[in-house]
Amino acid sequence: MKWILLFGALIVPSICGREKFSGDQVFRINVRNGDEISKLNELVNSDHLKLNFWKSPSTLGLPVDVLVSSASLQPVTVFLQSQGLDYSVTIEDLQIYREMDSIAGDFPDLASRVKIGRSFENRPMYVLKFSTGKGSQRPAIWLNAGIHSREWISQATAMWTARKIVSDYGKDPAVTSILEKMDIFLLPVANPDGYVYTHTQNRLWRKTRSHHPGSSCIGVDPNRNWNASFAGGGASDNPCSEVYHGPHANSEVEVRSVVDFIQEHGNFKCFVDLHSYSQLLMYPYAYTDKKAPDADELDKVAKRAAKALASLSGTRYHVGSICSTVYKASGSSTDWAYENGIKYSFTFELRDTGHYGFLLPANQIIPTAKETWLGLKTIMQYARDHLY
Amino acid sequence: MRPYFFESRYRQLQAWAIPAPRQPAASMQPRQQPLSEPGPRGRRPVAPLLALLLLLALQRTGAAPAGPGESEKPGDNQEAYETAYEDYDYGLPSEFELPPWFSNLKTPGGPLLPEGILRQGALAAVHFLNFREGSPSDLQMLSTVYRASVWETAEKEQHVDVAFTTERFKPEGDKEKPLAECAARVIFRKGKPRPAVNIYCEGLAEKNKRQEDYLLYKHLKQLKPLLGVVHIPDRNGYIDPSLRPLWDLAALGSSYVMWDKTTNVLRYSLVQLTSVKQWKTDGEIDFDYTVQLHEFSTQEIIPCRIHLVWYPGKPLKVKYRCQETPGQASEVEEGSGGMVLTELTNN
Repeated sequence: MKWILLFGALIVPSICGREKFSGDQVFRINVRNGDEISKLNELVNSDHLKLNFWKSPSTLGLPVDVLVSSASLQPVTVFLQSQGLDYSVTIEDLQIYREMDSIAGDFPDLASRVKIGRSFENRPMYVLKFSTGKGSQRPAIWLNAGIHSREWISQATAMWTARKIVSDYGKDPAVTSILEKMDIFLLPVANPDGYVYTHTQNRLWRKTRSHHPGSSCIGVDPNRNWNASFAGGGASDNPCSEVYHGPHANSEVEVRSVVDFIQEHGNFKCFVDLHSYSQLLMYPYAYTDKKAPDADELDKVAKRAAKALASLSGTRYHVGSICSTVYKASGSSTDWAYENGIKYSFTFELRDTGHYGFLLPANQIIPTAKETWLGLKTIMQYARDHLY
Repeated sequence: MRPYFFESRYRQLQAWAIPAPRQPAASMQPRQQPLSEPGPRGRRPVAPLLALLLLLALQRTGAAPAGPGESEKPGDNQEAYETAYEDYDYGLPSEFELPPWFSNLKTPGGPLLPEGILRQGALAAVHFLNFREGSPSDLQMLSTVYRASVWETAEKEQHVDVAFTTERFKPEGDKEKPLAECAARVIFRKGKPRPAVNIYCEGLAEKNKRQEDYLLYKHLKQLKPLLGVVHIPDRNGYIDPSLRPLWDLAALGSSYVMWDKTTNVLRYSLVQLTSVKQWKTDGEIDFDYTVQLHEFSTQEIIPCRIHLVWYPGKPLKVKYRCQETPGQASEVEEGSGGMVLTELTNN
């Protein structure tokens, strides 16, 4: 539980004495008539289910939010369905979305929470936009995290970074000057369904949770689904594979939401995708071992960033193109970004190098986030100084 | 092939999973640097100062053309760090003497191979090291790769010479990180698992190992692990200190499996111990369990059932069977499914 408690302590300092409910889900029930209210009251009164009604089922027209513990998920679902009640399941890891809301609330002149789409299971996709305003479509930076749900250090680092940006603006010259010229968009949970699934069912789930007709297995690897040499080598056409690319490019609504947003914005200059593990800082291409036109420059920037990162605790990252450093992979986010005019595109593989791997202990979250921040700042500063 | 040990001032471990290669023909010799170690190729220890000078000389007068940004003199740490990245060479600890057979190529003798193979080699070497050392209290994990060379022979074997440091597995919170320094040659036959490994390390705690193994054994004898489903570490990476020795023993057996399955494109990390099928501790420890391995490049999580028998100081016996993954890419020929039971003793 340490990880969750520490994470909770990091990001929700205002909530005291409340244990994080892992595995729990919030059901939002739309009560349509008096009959349904009384059915709901049955649920309220069931002691053994241990439900937590956040809004009491008394008023028509207002949805009712219920926190359901993981043990009670099954009976509650069965009940709601058998009674014909209209409900949806909201994001399980409430802390992340509420924290995003809280950041936006605490720093309204700098941060706002933007919905860019919904996941396959109908969860909202939220991005934090950091902007000092003036002018629309300012040159922008996209920070992507949690696209592979089991890489928990990625979402955690993103949330720490969000707080860091708002806290340091006006104090740290680097952040301040970056935000004077550019906007930062941060997507901490690019794969919400997968993320929930890693909490409720399978800690090692990687893909989305989408169902495609004719497919015997669930989920698509969201980092093989982008329109960059889609279905080339380094991805699988087997739906049961962890690197299944999906039926077609952008078949995953989670990917499409980001693509649409970035394309509509039209002025992104920098794209960073956070993964784990391996301690690598890489740049295009993933789909081919041919050298990208800007490889020399990107290599230089990456090395500088890795050096900055290492300066904190000595954590060593290797640098190189994705294909030559790990393996060939088609349909990846960084390649897509690069080929869509976003020159400063990088992929981080965060801690560690395999000892704990995906199950990185809680006491490494903050050190990882802190050192990664130094690397990110290096990249963002470089982009700021080399706008094109 | 029976593995054997050299008696020398430095410990050296060898195992040939395939018949030991004959002396390579002159044309296949990796190019030697002009300033390779002088004198007869014995194990006569070179004076530390001379070794240091040699290492510096080797770093400076590489056959490779100077990469962009490579400085003339080693200079301060900053420049050395930049250079290290260029040449995949961080600057070896100065007392560490590379063995005479270690290739000093900065550019491979054959076609250019991706850097990923270097990590393949290093990890295979560490798994092999752990297995051969047979000591659950002294398991090593890969720390930093310092220098590496890779080349491909006419028979499509990939030779990786890699120098790296390892760290001991330690419970969280332990700041001290004792390092061992290793040099290894790993030979991959294309597509085939179980690479040949020749590894040579300094700094492995020889004396304490036996004692610690025995303490670990006593601890394990008192343990009553849950039979059935476990999660060690748990999903937050936490291992209960009382269960740590159990995990160490599971990791030891897993090291064999991971080395045995490694190919030039597939490598493995241990994710989690997920079930204990059998646990007997009268005399030898008889441990039947399941782990989840992370298969790199396919990204699959592979459950493996492992059965080991261990007693401190005695040869480790291990056999295993891994589940064939549903989404296994067809390029991988290694059949990990079915009944591949590999019985092996440690001597």
